[in-house]
Amino acid sequence: MKPEEAPRETAESIGRSVQSGERSAVEVAKTFLARADRTAARLGTYLHRDAARTLAAAGEVDTRILAGEKLSPLAGVPVALKDNLCTRGIPTTCGSRILEGYLPPYDAHVVERLHRAGAVFAGKTNCDEFAMGSSTENSAYFPTRNPWDPERVPGGSSGGSAATVAALEAPLSLGSDTGGSVRQPAAFCGVYGLKPTYGAVSRYGLVAFASSLDQIGPFARTARDTALLYNAICGPDERDSTSRAEAKPVGLEDLERGVRGLKIGIPRDLIAEGVDPEVLASLDRVARTLESEGASILDVALPHARYSIATYYLIAPAEASSNLARYDGVRYGFRAKNASNLQEMYAATRGTGFGREVRRRILLGTYALSAGYYDAYYLRAMKVRTLIRKDFSEALAQADAILLPTTPTPPFKLGEKVDDPLAMYLNDIFSIPASLAGAPALSVPAGMTRAGLPIGMQLVGRPFDEGTLLRIARTWEKRNEDALRVPPIAAGGRA
Amino acid sequence: MPIDAQVVHKVAALSRLQVDPAEEGRFVKELQSILAYVEQLQALDVSGIEPTSQVGAGAGAPLREDRVLPCDVREEALAQAPDRDGDYFRVPRVV
Repeated sequence: MKPEEAPRETAESIGRSVQSGERSAVEVAKTFLARADRTAARLGTYLHRDAARTLAAAGEVDTRILAGEKLSPLAGVPVALKDNLCTRGIPTTCGSRILEGYLPPYDAHVVERLHRAGAVFAGKTNCDEFAMGSSTENSAYFPTRNPWDPERVPGGSSGGSAATVAALEAPLSLGSDTGGSVRQPAAFCGVYGLKPTYGAVSRYGLVAFASSLDQIGPFARTARDTALLYNAICGPDERDSTSRAEAKPVGLEDLERGVRGLKIGIPRDLIAEGVDPEVLASLDRVARTLESEGASILDVALPHARYSIATYYLIAPAEASSNLARYDGVRYGFRAKNASNLQEMYAATRGTGFGREVRRRILLGTYALSAGYYDAYYLRAMKVRTLIRKDFSEALAQADAILLPTTPTPPFKLGEKVDDPLAMYLNDIFSIPASLAGAPALSVPAGMTRAGLPIGMQLVGRPFDEGTLLRIARTWEKRNEDALRVPPIAAGGRA
Repeated sequence: MPIDAQVVHKVAALSRLQVDPAEEGRFVKELQSILAYVEQLQALDVSGIEPTSQVGAGAGAPLREDRVLPCDVREEALAQAPDRDGDYFRVPRVV
């Protein structure tokens, strides 16, 4: 296998070849660094890359293999990390000016796990500031562009992580998903994106946005690669009390078992309005294909899911307003100059260090939590959340998984929604419900529009049943004519 | 309480967030439109429904042994300070 062929390969095949000594982790790292050199600046995928560090990490993996250490299937596989995952001594900004220059004194749990597994650090990816956004246009540094059409957004907030995998700059990446921030960019960039069950992955070292919703999740180009990266990060960790022992690795052989006998529910009511016809056609194509593979397709009802956006935009900003109180210019990051006293310094640091979207959400969250409004807004939203959870547990008692689009439309253009926050929020109608329910949800590449833009379908499952979602996805993938298609910018081994 | 400039002002003060007067109008408009949208929740009957603050919280959450672990990052942590004085974070005068 020639080194320059590596980018089109799956992570699984790269890991296997490094393990067997067929090629070195350093060779693999060099190949991907060269790819990223050609496209990363144009696409705006990374906030921080460090070739020396990547090569040193790869060299360490080669040394471990030579010493006879048995590494994981991800040995020597480069993995890019969203910039809200803490990396010791490596800049971690969350796409915000308020954390410019911040060097965390510790690694996130998932970063430690990847290091142990022998994965190689590929860089820190661009994102919407503090993961607040659906287009990566809210990065304080620069926007990320969609590899399939650089005039369009890659989705967000984990836009850099999705785009870098789609553009073959890295075979795998991690993002975080609070209301769809892994699944929506995965759909827009034509890759897999998994939001694990709430509690499946430790968030220790993930910079908090909305703690009752945040989950870390993998991006990959195949269902099996998605499983490999999920397996490397899932399971309990005593530094995150919400992480659970029920989260178990997925057996790769189980993904090959097909879907015969599985029941897949479609929430037709929720999908009735405002969905692009090509997205609907893709939904029907996936459903028919799974049916022909032996699954039965049925209707399920999620009657409260249409209240999800309203619920989410009270709960998430309320939690964010509390979580982001820590950015005060005292212990790390940016501090405004020339304040005459402490209170002025806080207000000026936060007023100038946070971008517009973050400030709007802090204001909204503080309002929803303030005296006299708590019951009408925050408490009511938490009760509606209970109704939405109940919808999912009832639907998932009838069906093994729920199938619906990841987004109502294909990727939109840069600038198209940036001045209308509500229009941007409404784009998340299909991803937010599973977040509120804490259910695992996977965005699966599901074909292309006539204009050549990716479409994503979403599978939502029972708690800690990521395996069934990946198994359904794998069954569809084998029949998907567009599987492993590569965007023009990454095609032909040249940029 | 409908959102107006005075409310934005008050909430900004609670959030320790300086808001540029030039931006105030835009925040008012955006927050008004978001709050008009979330108004739809008022139509639902939620009487007798328990709130969900977190999925999987409460009973059954795992407990760990309470023990002291080494955490030798004092210098690394202090090195991040915008302004320090020895082992202290330095801030502008309080009043």
